[in-house]
Amino acid sequence: MTRPLVAIRSVSRSFGEFQALKQVSLDVRAGEVLCLIGASGSGKTTLLRCINQLTSIDSGGVWLDGELLGVRQVSGRLHRLAPREIARQRLKTGMVFQRFNLFPHKTALENITEGPVQVQGRKPEDARSDAMLLLRRVGLAAKADAYPAQLSGGQQQRVAIARALAMKPMLMLFDEPTSALDPELVGEVLSVMKELARSGMTMMVVTHELGFAREVADTVVYMDHGAIVEAGPAAAVLGSPREARTKSFLSAVI
Amino acid sequence: MTRFSLFVAVTTLAAVATARAAELPETIKQAGELRLTVNSTYAPMEYRDPSTNELVGLDIDLASEIAKRLGVKIVWSETPFAELIPSLQTRRADFIISGISDRGSRREAADFIDYLTTGPQFFVLAESAAQSATDLCGKKVGTTRSTSFPIEIEKWSKLTCEAGGRPAVQYVPGENSIDVRNQLKQGRIDAAVQGSETLPYAQQQEAGKYRVVGEPFSTGYQGIMFRKDDAALREVVTHHLAAMITDGSYKVILDKYGLGANAVRQPLMNAATQ
Amino acid sequence: MRAEPTLAAGFPDISGMTVARRARWRRWLAAAAIVVVLAAIGRAFANGQIEWSYVGRFLTAKVILEGIVNTIVMAVLAMALGIVLGVAVAIMRLSPNPVLRSVAAGYTWLFRGTPLILQLLLWFNLALVFPTIGIPGLWSGRAVDLMTPFLSALLGLGINQGAYTSEVMRAGMLSVDAGQYEAAQAIGMGRLRALRRIILPQAMRVVIPPLGNEFIGMVKATSLASVIQYPEVLHNAENIYYANSRVIELLIVAGFWYLLVVSVLTPLQMLLERRFARGSLQITR
Repeated sequence: MTRPLVAIRSVSRSFGEFQALKQVSLDVRAGEVLCLIGASGSGKTTLLRCINQLTSIDSGGVWLDGELLGVRQVSGRLHRLAPREIARQRLKTGMVFQRFNLFPHKTALENITEGPVQVQGRKPEDARSDAMLLLRRVGLAAKADAYPAQLSGGQQQRVAIARALAMKPMLMLFDEPTSALDPELVGEVLSVMKELARSGMTMMVVTHELGFAREVADTVVYMDHGAIVEAGPAAAVLGSPREARTKSFLSAVI
Repeated sequence: MTRFSLFVAVTTLAAVATARAAELPETIKQAGELRLTVNSTYAPMEYRDPSTNELVGLDIDLASEIAKRLGVKIVWSETPFAELIPSLQTRRADFIISGISDRGSRREAADFIDYLTTGPQFFVLAESAAQSATDLCGKKVGTTRSTSFPIEIEKWSKLTCEAGGRPAVQYVPGENSIDVRNQLKQGRIDAAVQGSETLPYAQQQEAGKYRVVGEPFSTGYQGIMFRKDDAALREVVTHHLAAMITDGSYKVILDKYGLGANAVRQPLMNAATQ
Repeated sequence: MRAEPTLAAGFPDISGMTVARRARWRRWLAAAAIVVVLAAIGRAFANGQIEWSYVGRFLTAKVILEGIVNTIVMAVLAMALGIVLGVAVAIMRLSPNPVLRSVAAGYTWLFRGTPLILQLLLWFNLALVFPTIGIPGLWSGRAVDLMTPFLSALLGLGINQGAYTSEVMRAGMLSVDAGQYEAAQAIGMGRLRALRRIILPQAMRVVIPPLGNEFIGMVKATSLASVIQYPEVLHNAENIYYANSRVIELLIVAGFWYLLVVSVLTPLQMLLERRFARGSLQITR
């Protein structure tokens, strides 16, 4: 069995009294498209954010590409990594947020080149040509010099995807990428994500779009109250779920 | 000042004072009080006693004695030095007795009854090398900028330093006499200038710290200021002041503050020559 | 078959009628009353005991013009110092490091908690506490030579301003959506770079109006430096009236210049606000 790209082992996280994650374990293979579904508060977003360390974990471990995230193991004890190392670890992932979070004071092109130039030290001209390629890929080459305020929600999210891809990550994380969009704009974002999946990118997507999950996902994971209830191939989990809780969740959202 | 002008001043005053019995103006008699304002940062003329915060000083004592003889009480207020003349003009004060020098430039607004001799005086820190006033040519000399002393220093410098081929005095402004002494202590200035009436007190407060250099470099008078149209009040105050000089109570007050040497023999009107 | 909704009777079509203008007489009456009051005030000043010839004579006197130049120079420099300190302290205040947070909080507490005039007097009279100051091994000198009126005013005004500016900057930084910081982190930016490239530029939009106000306040705060002998316009106007007793006339001269400077600055601040709203749909008028 090849080493999984992401290995999550007994990860727990609480916010005060509330336990968001209870000893969650999961593997994600390279090239896999995995969808996380469940009600709000089920822990799916928290789990996603543990992978790029926007949320820290209380116990357990996350390995990305074989590297333990956020801590170093030294003779039986764990030592937290320095902020600079954590920032470096984040370069391996790209994240797309529910509310896009584009930088409003920069154009679409500048949003995309910001990371490569400032963080990865790439030459501005190279970053710019790569950014134009990405904009073309998401269908927004004409909007390179537009500011986020001049773009629709769907366009902003597509720029956000391009911004994440510009860092050449090995894993893309999507946190409810279409939840904040008007219904008629959802389709354009989903088709970009489908193209991305087809190109072989490893993707973890928290979503309510079950149609997308059925069509594109390799694996679907249903979470409830901070634990994984059911995980398996998309067709199986969505078509013939084994767990009662999965069944009642799916029937409520259809 | 010349003998002749002194003679004129004295005879004018004598004539005016004896012409009719001096009477307190009605408004003050009715109110039963004199409203006076002082700039209380000028020891020993008027200042707040550091331990009791009471308003004390030579001017306070003189004015209180005069008020007692007039049968009224005094309501004191305080104000910055530059506000003294405006206070008189706006009638906020009935007259001004606040260590203010009789000067020609001030007589446009008021008449002075001179009651104390004074003059700007150089002083330095005890350890200073300066021995005579001419040692201060080219040096930094500070004084309170709202007084007439900056002009006096400039005049003296032109006369004594520049005329003798020495560099001019460098004037450094200060906000009040305490600020000036602070600058002297810090070494921002080499010497300071204050009215000669303030120096015995300063030397008593900080014994051995200061040393006077030379004599007061110009002589003048401290005067009580009255509005030009207030002749009646001016005459009655002068009458009682003259009485205090005659019966010795004036000298007692002056000696209390170590300023017996600054006494005048009788009150003079507008006698200063500056 | 019609697709329009069915309507009940009893509601006439008034779409053809225009809205009549409200009687404005109350407004005109108020305006007239204000004009009368202003005219009365103006007449009172004209007939008051002000020698306007003195105002005219000293309005453009050399020392007054030098004074206002010194006022502006000090306001600009002290504000610049205040902004630099304010940004640094705000960043420290929001740092994960508790030592930095405490230092920042202490600085703000100390310099906002004492009056500005007190701070100016302390800086100017520093030599009473430390006759000699210096950097060990590098340089030392007399404090009184270092703390000139200019430097004392600059430090006093600038460091005091920094305490206020840091609060403005902190509020501005907190006003930036938290998602912005997360997005910056997600592309691998460290805290300081994210602050510099993403947060602070966005905070500027929120921060410019209060900073513009602070600068206008600074222009007037420089007048306090008159007591430590900095030759700004109030100090120089005072020197003139100490000599000629024309207190009100000279204060009017100084007041005129302050008003003029502030009146010029106000529209400039509007322009600055507009520049920093770049990228937002809400372009201010």
